[in-house]
Formats: sequence, C-alpha cells, structure tokens
Amino acid sequence: MSRILGESTASGGANGANGALTPVVRSAPSAGHVVTTIARREIGLAARRGLVRILFLGSLLPPIVLAVILLVQIFAEQTFGTNLGWDPLLRFLQAQAIPVALLSLALGTPLVARDRAEDVIFLYGVRPVQPWQYVLGKLLAVAAPAAALMLFPGIVIAFLRMSVVGDLSAAQGAAMVSKVALAALLVGAGYAGVAVGPSAAVKRARTALLLSIGAFTLPDLAARLISLRDPAPIGPSTAIRALLASLFGQGDASDGLIGAVALITYAVAGFLVARARVGREMTP
Amino acid sequence: MRTPWIQVEDLHLSRGGRPVLHGVTVSAVGRAVGLVGANGAGKSTLIGALLGVLRPDRGKIRVLGLDVPRDARELRARAGVMAEQAGIFPGGSGVEAVVFSGMLSGLARREALRRAHRALDALEVGEERYRGTREYSTGMRQRCKLAMALVHDPEILILDEPTVGLDPPGRAQFLALLRELRDGGRRLLLSTHLLPDAESVCDELLLLDAGTVGYSGGLDSLRRASRVEFSAEGPGLDDAFAAALGANGVAARVIDAAAGSAASLRFDGGAEALSSFWRLAAERGAAVRRLDRDSPELEDAVLEAMGVSHPR
Repeated sequence: MSRILGESTASGGANGANGALTPVVRSAPSAGHVVTTIARREIGLAARRGLVRILFLGSLLPPIVLAVILLVQIFAEQTFGTNLGWDPLLRFLQAQAIPVALLSLALGTPLVARDRAEDVIFLYGVRPVQPWQYVLGKLLAVAAPAAALMLFPGIVIAFLRMSVVGDLSAAQGAAMVSKVALAALLVGAGYAGVAVGPSAAVKRARTALLLSIGAFTLPDLAARLISLRDPAPIGPSTAIRALLASLFGQGDASDGLIGAVALITYAVAGFLVARARVGREMTP
Repeated sequence: MRTPWIQVEDLHLSRGGRPVLHGVTVSAVGRAVGLVGANGAGKSTLIGALLGVLRPDRGKIRVLGLDVPRDARELRARAGVMAEQAGIFPGGSGVEAVVFSGMLSGLARREALRRAHRALDALEVGEERYRGTREYSTGMRQRCKLAMALVHDPEILILDEPTVGLDPPGRAQFLALLRELRDGGRRLLLSTHLLPDAESVCDELLLLDAGTVGYSGGLDSLRRASRVEFSAEGPGLDDAFAAALGANGVAARVIDAAAGSAASLRFDGGAEALSSFWRLAAERGAAVRRLDRDSPELEDAVLEAMGVSHPR
C-alpha cells in the first residue's frame, strides 16, 4: 500500500516516501483558482458531447460565410475601383448570436441540474468553495465560449480591414474591437444567466432547457403585449439585436441601452437564482 | 496531555426552526473518533457545523485550532470529506473526478494529477480509474470517493457512513484502509451507525442522543463505565443462591439449571458484587468451578449510555 495513505504531512513537510511530491497547500485557494477550475472542467466535459460539438461547428459557420463575403467584397472593390460601402459586421454579429445562443443553451442548461440530480453540490460545500464561486464557475463555462465566438471573428474582421482593406486606422480598429468586446461580454453574460439560472431551478436538464426557451421567448411576448408598435427589447435575442444595432449600425441608442441592461439583468438574475439554490444544497 | 483537535462548547443549532443540536460540548483528542447515534440524532448536522457549512445559533467550535465558521474555508482546505449522501463529481472518469477534487482544494492541475494517481494506486484502483464513474461498483465508488477526499493530503478525514453498501470482504478491506490512515497520523472522524465499524477503527467515541452528547471519551472508558456481568458455574449456584445474592443488592439470575448438579448463574456488578458472591458461596458451600467476567459489547455499552435496554 502506498505511503500516501499512511503519511499525513500535517507538519507541512514533503509528502510521500520518495519525497517527489511537493508539500500541499494548507490555505484556501483563491476565488479565481476555484472559479476557473470549475469553468474549465465544465467546458472540457461539454466538449465531449456530440450536440455541443455540432453546435460549436455551427457557430463557426457565420464567421466562415463572413470571411467569404469580405473576400468577395475586397475583390469586387479592387476590380471595379469602387467602394461598396457595405459593412457586413452588424449582420454577421446578429447572425452569429443565434448559433451562439443554441450553444449556450446546450452548454449551460445541464450544468447545475446535473449536479443537483447527482447530489454532488454538497461535495463543493465541504471543500473550500463558496456558493458564489461555484455559480460564477458555471456561468463562466457558458459565457467564455459564447463571448469568444462573438469576439474572435470581430477581431479578425478588424484585422482584415486594417491590414488588407485598409479602410480603418489603428485607432478605429481598436475602437471596433472594443465595441465587439463589449457586445461579446454582454452577450456571453446574458446567455449564461438565461441558461444557468433555469438549470439551478430544476433537477432535469430537459426541464431546464424548456425553462430557458421560455426565458428567451416570454419577455418579448410580454413586451409586444404592452406595446405592439414599439416593443422594448427585453428578451435576450431582441436585446442583443438592439445592442448590436446601436453599437454597429443606425440603431436607437436608448434601445441599445435597454438591451444592455436587459442582458445584465439576465446575468444577475441567473446568478442570484443559482446562488440561492446552491447555497441551500451545499448543506448536509 | 494531548491537544484536542475538535473543541465544541455549548453548541446550539437549529434547522428549519427545529432545534437539532442543543448544548453539545465535546473535546476530542483521539486519533480516530467515532460519531455514533440513532438516525436524526444530529450526526450530519454536527459534521456540517464542524466544517462551517451550517452556522450555529450559538456556541464555539474549533477544529485543528481554527475558529469555525470564521476560518471554515481554511479548515476545508485541510480536511478531506467523504460523504455518504454525495456521489462522485459526474461526467468523467474516476481519475478526472479525483484530479478535480484536488484542484478544488487548491492544487495546481499537474500536482493534482500526480497525487490523484498516487491516491488511486494506494487504494488499489487499477485501470478502472479511466472508466466512467457511472460504471463503478459500490466498492469502487467508495474507493474513488476516498481518493477524492485524500488527494490533497488532508490532516483530518471526515467520513460519513463509508462502508454503507459494501459486502463483508469489501467492508473489512475498507476498514483496514481506514486503520492504516489512522496509524499514518491522520485524524479521523467516522460517522457511522455500524458500531463494529467504530470499534474497529476508533479509539474515541462521541455518542449523540437526540441532539445532545450521550457519551464522549475513550471506547475502553465507555466499556468500563458500562454494566459488568459475571457468569459462574458450579453445584449450589441455584435459584436460592440467586435469591440470596438479590437480597444483598446484586441482580442475579440462573441461566442454566438443567446441567446436572451444577447450575449456571449470571450476576451484575463490580467489585462489591463479586465480594458478595464469594462470601455467599463460602457461607452456602457452593463449589464454584468457573467464573468469567463478561466484557460488554460496545453495542451494549452504547445502548446503556443512551438509556436503552438491549432487546435480548
């Protein structure tokens, strides 16, 4: 039997008979370590699921289409010597938000529901993990890929326009990337809240998925009931469209602001719902 | 004198408005402390309070010299917990679950991976470690759960019903593992309703009875404090002898009167009872061929401490 069973390093010395292992930590890990550990594990596990893989590949489709459009645009402008004056970024980002939403739902809706069904939330509680760290880790597992899928193509576009097309200065390129980053952050946070909050409310991933779909559709229905002509963009998808339109197009700035607030609200609500549930389940 | 590693003073804790622990005061110094009690006695609640997961209404808790719940996160980084109610981190293989457990306790990934393999080697989990945990047998699950609790080299191990669901050989093997851990210097808190498990591993016992401490101290002290019985055999140890002992304040009964001229007698008590027995035997000319002191089973001692008579 290995010495790991029979030799505690309570005094803080090197562990094990061969001394190969360094002394273990004796203080609680940082919040950042805990949150990223949880998020990385969830992303790693999700990457093994067929549905998530398909949706991830689907999320790569709009950037590929966009790249083709950009190349055709550059070729046409160079051939005919005219500026087409068409910026595909807004349409791309709005299109990209759809597969990213599907990916977020597939990624996020099982996260807490599965842990609840398997009775493992208590395991986090008896380790140096705070409920809010657990929830933040789950949110990050959804938000990080979603934001990256929105951000990365934006960076590529900015780079292409600065280096190949040459219609953007470095400052304009940086401003564009900043706006894409802001949009990506809000989209990632909002989607994560809409996926993880319902996941914490139930023990079955499918029920969580239904709840999430409800969270995607019902607010917009409610907004239309209140004002058919000018519904406020309070549903996740309309909020994103309004936000992107105000950042990259001729959209109404107030609608963009409402959209941003709505996305932040979804993120906070998802966090609070999950935090409340997890706090209760971390006790024996 | 050894320093207590668990110190609880006047602990009161309610759950859902219902008082579960009331006035629990404990000081544990043993290497392995058995936490026993009936269902609903407050064992899980006490464990939750010791780990700072449940906040007491009032009272003081110190574990490993740390003030709980204030220093609960630091304590949890130094403790390993194997819980009956919880499973294994789902979704991956056994080794992945153990690595993840180590990382949650603060280990870097590489270090967690090395320690996970060592812990699984030590617990004799072979190639099964690469299989999905859903396929594990009960015994393999328990080993994996123990590896998850051990991977970060904790100073204390808190085990909640670790042998539940194991077959007798698996249980014996698991208890041997726990003894090895104890002998290696780790402190164990073993919550169990199986008294033979506590007897096999622990040198100290904490008995919870309806949210209060029924007994706290060494196993031997509990046995010594419990009722002692003697069995005697020989001619003359009959009903009349038992009645005479009873008249001297010693409860006695004939347990086998059909053994020819000899009878078997059992009586309770300590040194005084024994002295009365010998005096009566001399007075009545009883020939005592055999006299045994029956060491009480732990179960008897615990039941007695709980004020419950054994249903013999």
